[in-house]
Amino acid sequence: MNSRMSELPVEIVMIEDDEGHARLIEKNIRRAGVNNPISPFANGTDAMTYLFGADGSGLASKGKPLLVLLDLNLPDMTGVEILGRIKSNEHLKRVPVVVLTTTDDALEIQRCYDLGCNVYITKPVNYDSFANAIRQLGLFFSVIQVPSPH
Amino acid sequence: MLPRWRFLNLQALLLGIGFLLLVGISAATIYLVERSASDSKQLTDTLSIEDKLSDIQLTVRRAESSQRGYLLTNDRTYLEDFRDAEPETRDTIAEIRELAKTSATRQTTIDRVDELVTGKFREMQRIIALNEQGQRREALLQVRQGEGRRIMTELRDVIDQAIEQESNLAEVRAKSSRNTSNLLLFVSLAGALLIVGIGALSILLVQRNYRRAEAARSELAATNANLERIVEYRTEDLTEANEEIQRFAYIVSHDLRSPLVNIMGFTSELETLRQDIFQEIERLAGELAATQGAEPGGEEKVPVQQLGAEFDEAIGFIKTSIDNMDRLINAVLKLSREGRRQFHPETVDMDALIASLVETVTHRAAELQATLRVESLPAVETDPLAAQQIFGNLIDNALKYGRDDEKLQIEIRGRLTATHAIYEVQDNGRGIDRADFQRVFELFRRAGRQDRPGEGIGLAHVRALVRRLGGTMGLTSELGKGSTFTVTLPRRWSAANRSAA
Repeated sequence: MNSRMSELPVEIVMIEDDEGHARLIEKNIRRAGVNNPISPFANGTDAMTYLFGADGSGLASKGKPLLVLLDLNLPDMTGVEILGRIKSNEHLKRVPVVVLTTTDDALEIQRCYDLGCNVYITKPVNYDSFANAIRQLGLFFSVIQVPSPH
Repeated sequence: MLPRWRFLNLQALLLGIGFLLLVGISAATIYLVERSASDSKQLTDTLSIEDKLSDIQLTVRRAESSQRGYLLTNDRTYLEDFRDAEPETRDTIAEIRELAKTSATRQTTIDRVDELVTGKFREMQRIIALNEQGQRREALLQVRQGEGRRIMTELRDVIDQAIEQESNLAEVRAKSSRNTSNLLLFVSLAGALLIVGIGALSILLVQRNYRRAEAARSELAATNANLERIVEYRTEDLTEANEEIQRFAYIVSHDLRSPLVNIMGFTSELETLRQDIFQEIERLAGELAATQGAEPGGEEKVPVQQLGAEFDEAIGFIKTSIDNMDRLINAVLKLSREGRRQFHPETVDMDALIASLVETVTHRAAELQATLRVESLPAVETDPLAAQQIFGNLIDNALKYGRDDEKLQIEIRGRLTATHAIYEVQDNGRGIDRADFQRVFELFRRAGRQDRPGEGIGLAHVRALVRRLGGTMGLTSELGKGSTFTVTLPRRWSAANRSAA
């Protein structure tokens, strides 16, 4: 996606503790014809280190076109916390965050949008719907414009 | 601690003693005052008698002097005192007699005095008479004979003796009077002290009683406060336990969904793979047949198709089960979410609410040829969304479980009691067996013929909601005749409703 718009292809950072879910998401993204690199993380800590760098400043991700796929239920921290940290960081706040989770609690959804999440998707058990949602997300990836790095 | 009745008795006893003591002291005082008065009267009498006896002696002496003066001078004016003296003396004697009425000794004394005085006056009279008759010598001779002097001496002795007696008596009387006074003082003081003592004891007892009552009262207050605290704790515990269950249900259902997504996802992946696998098997089988020169198809093809059918059957069961499980999890999730929802009570126009619910099922009712009759319903202060869900579910249920042999009729009624609003949803549907009255309200349980889709959560949800609104849910039904669901809600919303959830 948008390789035309910037020199680097947009990297999808997938924070998902369930390996099965990660695999299914990846499969369906690929099926949608999206070939961008995907960096999977099974826990919040590793993902945070990757995004914010060893110093936690977020400088490491400066200039990198990123898109975060975020599960809210993680073993070490909540996705909401990660979302909040991303959206309040100077270098990462413009990175699109897609929350993809099993929770369809209205309050939770509202909280995520309040914190600045860009898209909130509930994982349906019905696989067709699930695959469809991911594919649409893939299509979405192909049309959205990730803010170009400065 | 003394038992209460004994304590009360003691107090009554003290009061009784105090009262008796007061009566006793009063009686003693009256008696003593009386005695004191009598003592002092007798003392006065004694002194008076002494006085009068002296008077008599003096008057008789004066009469004698008067007589002697006359005899010396022959001047009759000297006889004035003599003439006055006799009646004077008689009066005094009469007075003494009056005073001495009660005493025999005194009577004897006064009789003697009277006798002597009378004798003296008679002797003096006789001498005066002799002188007046001119027998002066004879008169003087009589005086010289000394009869008069003898009488006077005796009179003096008798009176002196009487005075002495009276003096002794006076002394005794005075002593007795003093004693009486002292006794009176003593009795008064003792009485006063006793009363003060009993008063102090009573005050002590009353104070002790008061302290005991105070202690009991504060103990009661403490117990009450404690009880309130216990109730508070229990309510808190219950609320916490309830919240815990809600959270638990939420987490469990949520966490169960995660693996379910995988099972469903990879089952579908397997289904996709099946196409490729079986195509590959058929291709290989064809190749094998070609190389072995046998005819393709025939006996070989049947097992492959059978394998495919069994594969599909297995996948089909897995998918159906996943769908069921998903529905159940969603139901638990929904219930737990409802359990956590905050209510926003307001006065709900039940006519409007039911009318809007009826409107949404008009189409279905028409299809079923069902008639819905709604009477005028009383308003109630409650959560409108919850009320909508409760009655929506009940109407839905009524429409769902009709009878094949009769057109469905649904009636919705309402009435008010002093504290509650009661609503009834009645149908002439298939009804519920008495044995299943509880069961139909349980989660995932259904009753009767299972020919309608459903998870068995509708009524469980309804009852949970009604309870959280502080109301109760009732059911009367007869199999094959119809059912009536009764919702009883408090007319006024109160905070206590929530803790009952």
